[in-house]
Amino acid sequence: MTLELTSHDADRLRRVLRDLLAQAEADSCLICDQAGHVLVQLNLLDEDPLRVSALGAGVFAATRELARIIGEDEFSTVLHQGDRRSILIEAVDEESLVVVLFTGDHKVGLVKLYAPAAAAAVRRVLTEARNRSNTDGTSQTRFELEDSKSIFGSSNAG
Amino acid sequence: MAFVNQASREVQLKIVYYGPALSGKTTNLETIHERIRPDHKGDLTSLDTAQDRTLFFDFMPLEADAIKGFKTRFLMYTVPGQVMYNTTRRIVLRGVDGVVFVADSQWGEMEANVESLSNLEENLRAQGSSLEHVPHVIQFNKRDLDNIAPEHYMEFVLNNGETRRPSFSSVATDGTGVFEALNMIARLVLHRFVSGPTGKDAEGQQLRLVD
Repeated sequence: MTLELTSHDADRLRRVLRDLLAQAEADSCLICDQAGHVLVQLNLLDEDPLRVSALGAGVFAATRELARIIGEDEFSTVLHQGDRRSILIEAVDEESLVVVLFTGDHKVGLVKLYAPAAAAAVRRVLTEARNRSNTDGTSQTRFELEDSKSIFGSSNAG
Repeated sequence: MAFVNQASREVQLKIVYYGPALSGKTTNLETIHERIRPDHKGDLTSLDTAQDRTLFFDFMPLEADAIKGFKTRFLMYTVPGQVMYNTTRRIVLRGVDGVVFVADSQWGEMEANVESLSNLEENLRAQGSSLEHVPHVIQFNKRDLDNIAPEHYMEFVLNNGETRRPSFSSVATDGTGVFEALNMIARLVLHRFVSGPTGKDAEGQQLRLVD
């Protein structure tokens, strides 16, 4: 199934993330899905959002399995706390996550306080977006492939 | 599961390299990372053990001008091949758009190849999909070694379904067959993305891959 975000969806999601960053005094954040796709990101400057997303989704999925081992459906929040910087991953729904990066352990409380509401707001936007997909799961946009024999070339012969 | 962001004009597609332990999945990504144009790749991230065995996954983003008007990103993953990591393989397979099955051509690994392919089918079914519905290619790796099975035998064992899948002989350590398999799976995934499960475009015309 293809998930497609319009410009309007992306704007709404960025507004949610901007509010979250302001309220929680966090550095940057992104929304990703469980497959590791980056849906929207805000303020990630030094960090590669694709790597953060892939690893965050992997970490969250692994902890979900741990949760099941101890009889929980899942952990809705996963926090990795460092000496200076930390990451909080909040489940939006079965498919998506909000990942928040912040500095200073004194902000843990703020991030934990505001992340669930942000996740709920993200959930509303993504639910609408998913409901717009075609019944066979394909996108409603018409795409056209570039004319090229080879998509990836190597920079040296092997 | 593909993702489209109209605001940033970006399409993201996920490809997973699957196969038994030590078949060459990670070597494929390493070789691709070494040889692909710098502006087409991101960093290769490997979550592995001290013995360089994949523990969780390898990950590498690739970028291509494959869809008109959109930046196309391929999110490349490998799974850990060791039998005990099946839960991890299921996690990595989530949202997969295409699979490269990397088989080990050595005679002694045939059973492992078959079990891994069966495991792939089982894990896809667990998430409501199947090999029939997910574009995939098969790579017969380690063709440079002694004591390897002939290709026609490997085709018989691993590629004997109603529809023969594209297969490639490879030596991942020196790049032989690696980009051929990569380009084919990318084309298959793109074809599926554009046309959907029916294989037809927006006007109802059947799309076909042209060499």
